[in-house]
Amino acid sequence: MTPEQVVRRRIYHLLGLAGAVCLGLVIQLARVQFGPYAPVFEARSHYPLGQVVQISPARGLIYDRDGVLLAANAPRYYLEVELRQMDGNEQVLASVVSQLLDVPLEDVYGQLTMRGKSERMVRIRLTRPDEAAGRWPILVDQTIADVLNGFLADPDAPDLSGLALVPAPMRIYPSGTLAGHVLGFASQEGRGYFGVEGYYDAWLAGRSITYERGVIPPEASLEPNPPVGVNLVLTIDADIQQMVETGIREWIDDTGADSGQIIIMDPRNGEILAMAAWPELDPNHYSPWLEAEAAAPAQDNSGEATAPVSEQDARVISPAISAQYEPGSTFKVLVMAAALDAGVVTPDEVFIDTGQIEVGGHVIRNWDGDAWGPQTMVGCLQHSLNVCLAYVSSQKLGAGLLYDYLERFGIGRLTGIDLAGEIVGSLRTPRSPTWTESDLGTNAFGQGVSVTPIQLITAVGAVANGGVMVQPHVVRQVVGPQGVYSPGTTVLGRPISPETARTLTQMLAQSLAAETRFGNIAGYSMAGKTGTAQIPSEMGYDPTWTVASFVGWGPVSDPRFVVLVRLDRPETSPWGSVVAAPLFHDVVERLVVILEIPPDAVRAQLAAGG
Amino acid sequence: MPLILFLVISAIYLAVNAKVANAGRQVLSLERELAALERENAELVTRLAEETSPDRMMARAMALGFAPAAPDQVEYLVVDGYGGAPEFVAPLPSASAPEEGGLLSPAYTETLGDWLTRLLGGVEAAP
Repeated sequence: MTPEQVVRRRIYHLLGLAGAVCLGLVIQLARVQFGPYAPVFEARSHYPLGQVVQISPARGLIYDRDGVLLAANAPRYYLEVELRQMDGNEQVLASVVSQLLDVPLEDVYGQLTMRGKSERMVRIRLTRPDEAAGRWPILVDQTIADVLNGFLADPDAPDLSGLALVPAPMRIYPSGTLAGHVLGFASQEGRGYFGVEGYYDAWLAGRSITYERGVIPPEASLEPNPPVGVNLVLTIDADIQQMVETGIREWIDDTGADSGQIIIMDPRNGEILAMAAWPELDPNHYSPWLEAEAAAPAQDNSGEATAPVSEQDARVISPAISAQYEPGSTFKVLVMAAALDAGVVTPDEVFIDTGQIEVGGHVIRNWDGDAWGPQTMVGCLQHSLNVCLAYVSSQKLGAGLLYDYLERFGIGRLTGIDLAGEIVGSLRTPRSPTWTESDLGTNAFGQGVSVTPIQLITAVGAVANGGVMVQPHVVRQVVGPQGVYSPGTTVLGRPISPETARTLTQMLAQSLAAETRFGNIAGYSMAGKTGTAQIPSEMGYDPTWTVASFVGWGPVSDPRFVVLVRLDRPETSPWGSVVAAPLFHDVVERLVVILEIPPDAVRAQLAAGG
Repeated sequence: MPLILFLVISAIYLAVNAKVANAGRQVLSLERELAALERENAELVTRLAEETSPDRMMARAMALGFAPAAPDQVEYLVVDGYGGAPEFVAPLPSASAPEEGGLLSPAYTETLGDWLTRLLGGVEAAP
């Protein structure tokens, strides 16, 4: 065979081989396209080639009215271990994690060496023992993460091979307990509970999207942005909030009260400037309250909890909107407003107080059991005479007018405040099967009727605001990608005329000024009313404990704030005038400075152009 | 001649694909860097908020010898033309660009076939 023939034969062999390969490819192509497994291949062609991930936008931020950040998002890191990447360094890794995070060494080591239980286990998330939850994933902050990343990058550092830090956004409340009851909290899963976080949950959370992330470079693309949540600006003033929280904490220490609340509202527009409560709630440590929420049943359409969270839970979580109580004498403000507006009494009308009155078979007496003799309506309010107000409600107003006015003041209805978990309280009217005529007398001094603090301050705010009742709210601005939305003032009604509001304000200012122990704020004219309420129980009224309260507003000539103070079960004195009024005084003394409200004389001088 | 044409087209094809792969690697790297910077920014914002929280500011002010003013310690002045501090407006939420705006430009994902089709058909490239 000549060399030329050898070359030609080799070429034929190569061509034959190439032809065979091509034929094989064609056969495989035909098999894939038309063979019995064609549907399988067809279906497989639609599988995503990349990694399908869910992208959640950062939860919206929450600021106070002056820009103090109250709720933020900060990264925290789960500690995960790729077991196959470990190189006999279990002891070292366990030792580092144990020392840095105060987790028992044997606990971490046990987790790292348990792979024998399942050969399929390739990656684990380290956990720590937890008394309540059994075990809880370990989350570390940025400082610890920096230390661990430093170890991972340094060849001379302890060998942490296999350790991975997986970032997880976490809701952080930088001011700790400040306004915790207003904010509520967001869980690790990004769901909001209670307060603003609960009410605006859907708005704050934005919308998650599913996205196929290319894992090979030619298919990589910028990730799409999911629709983000909105940022919120609250009506809360962090300085005022901090001031009242400090005040109530100190005052509760001094009086030995169980719990308490202070709400400050601008009566002109319903903006809540502060809403403080004790015991405090730290939204950074929410797990006990999350269990309470899980145990609570859903609300019906009226917003009334069909079987509400226990009284203890409600008092602690959102007391201003869900801890109902019998308001006691602070309720006399509304009864007197009704009587004045209906024209059935005048401020100077004299009532002869004999010390008791019978209404519906129920004998009503004054708080001290005494007869106070002739008293004007101003005197009735000043001395908080139950007998006088029961006379006004039963013999002057009557059930029709009284309950009509109370309903106009929103008693027994939700205020609609933008906080999750508001309840309606309880008002029996003649339409209720359980109503009796004696209610007409007891309701006059705030007994047999339950309100939430927000209901009472909203109703009293109508008196301060010239008869116009506005809806309370805590969100001032909603800032989203489309722009800024500022909710306006919502008028809930005009329960009384401006003249009545003015008259009653003067009466209450007069009665407050006469009580020197309240320590009027020098230079400022205030109106207000004390309250001392018995606490109902299954066995009747508690003989020992009371709810002491005070509601007041000012300056009388141009009200800028309404303040409600409530203290539950004070030990040092049961009376609102002794334990709640001084706290009102302390709060207002600081409030006028923070709100830059000059004394009455200075304001008059400025108004006159002096 | 056809062989040369084939080689030229192959070379262009390889060059374009290499460029796309390189751009993709940069994208992946930038994505990681962006995520890390966002985390760092969030951490710093939170730390700043913690450091300037009302409780801490009050404690610092007290330590410096300041005390809350009583009403009778305040002097009020009228300043012509001063309307008070401007109202705070929160910043827009981060990453608020519309969904479709965040996608990569088609210039980076265009294949040789797409390029030829566009070239021969006179079709304008997408922005």
